[in-house]
Amino acid sequence: MIIDLTLSDDQRMIEDGARTFLQDRLPVERLREPQNHGGAAERALWQELSELGLFGLGCAERDGGLGMGLAEEVLAARALGLILASPAVLAQLAAPHFATEGTVPATLVAGTTKAAFANYLSDGVAHLIDGDGAEQVLLLSPEGAMLLPRNQLGEAQVVAGMDETVMLARVSVSSNLPARCSGADRTSLLISAYLTGIAQATTSMAVDYAKTREQFGQPIGAFQAIKHQCADMASRAAAAEAQCFYTAVGFGGGLDDASESAAARMLASRAAIDNARANIQIHGGMGFTAECDAHLFLKRAHLMALLGSSRTAERQRLLGPD
Amino acid sequence: MHLISSPELDQFRAQCRDWLADNVPRGLRPLEGAALRDFDLAWQRCQFDAGWAGISWPKEYGGRGASVLEQLIWHEEYARAGAPASASMFVALSHAGPTLIVSGSEAQKQRHLPTILRGEENWCQGFSEPGAGSDLASLKCQATIDGDHLVVNGTKIWTTYAQHAVWQELLVRTDPDQPRHKGISWVICDMRSPQIEVRPIKAMSGLTHFAQCFYDDVRIPLTNVVGEINGGWKVAMTTLGFERGTGTIAHQIELSKVVERLIAAARSMSGSADEAVMAELATLKSEVMALRSLTVASVSRGMREVVPGPEGNVVALYFAELSRRVNGFAFDLLGAKALERDSAHDWSLHYFESFKWGIGGGTNEIRRNAIAERMLGLPKSPSARDAAR
Repeated sequence: MIIDLTLSDDQRMIEDGARTFLQDRLPVERLREPQNHGGAAERALWQELSELGLFGLGCAERDGGLGMGLAEEVLAARALGLILASPAVLAQLAAPHFATEGTVPATLVAGTTKAAFANYLSDGVAHLIDGDGAEQVLLLSPEGAMLLPRNQLGEAQVVAGMDETVMLARVSVSSNLPARCSGADRTSLLISAYLTGIAQATTSMAVDYAKTREQFGQPIGAFQAIKHQCADMASRAAAAEAQCFYTAVGFGGGLDDASESAAARMLASRAAIDNARANIQIHGGMGFTAECDAHLFLKRAHLMALLGSSRTAERQRLLGPD
Repeated sequence: MHLISSPELDQFRAQCRDWLADNVPRGLRPLEGAALRDFDLAWQRCQFDAGWAGISWPKEYGGRGASVLEQLIWHEEYARAGAPASASMFVALSHAGPTLIVSGSEAQKQRHLPTILRGEENWCQGFSEPGAGSDLASLKCQATIDGDHLVVNGTKIWTTYAQHAVWQELLVRTDPDQPRHKGISWVICDMRSPQIEVRPIKAMSGLTHFAQCFYDDVRIPLTNVVGEINGGWKVAMTTLGFERGTGTIAHQIELSKVVERLIAAARSMSGSADEAVMAELATLKSEVMALRSLTVASVSRGMREVVPGPEGNVVALYFAELSRRVNGFAFDLLGAKALERDSAHDWSLHYFESFKWGIGGGTNEIRRNAIAERMLGLPKSPSARDAAR
């Protein structure tokens, strides 16, 4: 088996299309306005996102999808990370794969049945994320994933969250906890791809700033103390991205998908958080303010890194049980 | 991004695997000296006789002319079979030979390419000088034209296997009045010349694989100049990164074997392993997997690009830093026991040797500059700007 990681023309077109649309209609700046928080901006564009084919990208054509694969979904997930799309968009992309092919509800693929993530905490409590209007919930824990109707979870109690741009609500979980399945690895990989989008966006933001901000009579990017940080950001993003792509292309083809996707998750979480931190540092005083978008990437990186994942669980998937 | 598989490639893989299983040298490879060179030359000859020599070289020069996919398969199987690194043949196979193929005259090609492939003559590299390391273009080793010869005076350093090589790819300054990059020539130097003194240098690992060379009126025929006189910088740069990522597959597979060895060691330790140690092991394993994926991405690009891009620096930097951490981790994991050097696996040797990847062939700092300036488009550092004027 040989894996070719260069994007095909079709894949490049899908990626460019998704990026252009998202950057045009859902730019990161939208999150400066509280009325766009909690997935509100995305829900307002839901129909258009559906018409783009985003939700059924990797679903079979007989299920109403575009019949592409995980590689294309990973490209879309990365594009979502670039603009910090509501996690609910990613949940919608991942949810159809929890039904067996041929039985996927058409409404889920079309997006008329809305999905959202819930992140299991402990003791029968989970965080529902941007769950307003969701009828299906993709419940994730570090151990597994399952799709269940919203009405099987308790009433939502909104709590103040670290990332104020998403709506975090506590819900009670009475069902059994999700088990490990290939859908769990697949979903984790999509979250990793989203995180590489954050790693890439923060690299671009830091590099753009380093090219224009002048001190001591020159752009700060001319100083190695800055440019080497930028080089490290690009390297971390490239490594996490290569691992995500490799895992996506090989998925179901005889690799150890659980350990490949665990590695992708560890690398992508690290790259997103470290790059978000470095981006704040390179922006200096501005980076520390709420006026600069740098903080939004840090907050979302932490949220996504902890969505259905823990260091212990990823380590055990990689090395085997302790 | 897709899976590639075909019966032809599967068959090629089986062919590689079978031949390597039967022919990879079983004896312990000498760590240094003439014995190491002779071992490498014999292995090269063995590959040549079976038609595997110069896997990436064009057929017209005696190579196998394999496609990039076949090269990838060959390097994977080569590493899996535990076949020896090219070591004392590295410069000949991966740098000097390819440079002659691209820039050499017909006579130079006919003279040198076959002796490389047949494992008869090996090469070393004379690029760095005591005063010209990362800033290679500031090199001073001087060559003046005297009739139909160049007369070379000066010194070169970090010349790996200088004391055991027959030929040297040598960069000399042929015109001190031209701007830095313009007055340099690339010449074929005969290391058997009595006017060359080679002083071996011992590395921190205890191995003596490189040396400083001193040139005292060394006469080199002008016919040994490759490319134009004063055009040597271009000649040298054209073939940097000729292997397009396939050359690092062996290092990457080797490193993943070391991590597996560490994981096995952690598992066999009495009592439950420390959680922090296991966490670091998991991180190292994930990064070794990322290195593999980066290598695959680099090979994928190599299938399409004519000239390798600056992305190769990411792979090299990642490998250099990871290699030190992986080999150094043995001391955290195994404790004081690892301080003994005569164990089944000499952790000290591998740890010390791993430092070379972040220094030789471009330091980590130079690679970061290249990533920042050539990939990200950041402005050049003040020093590089001043020198370019």
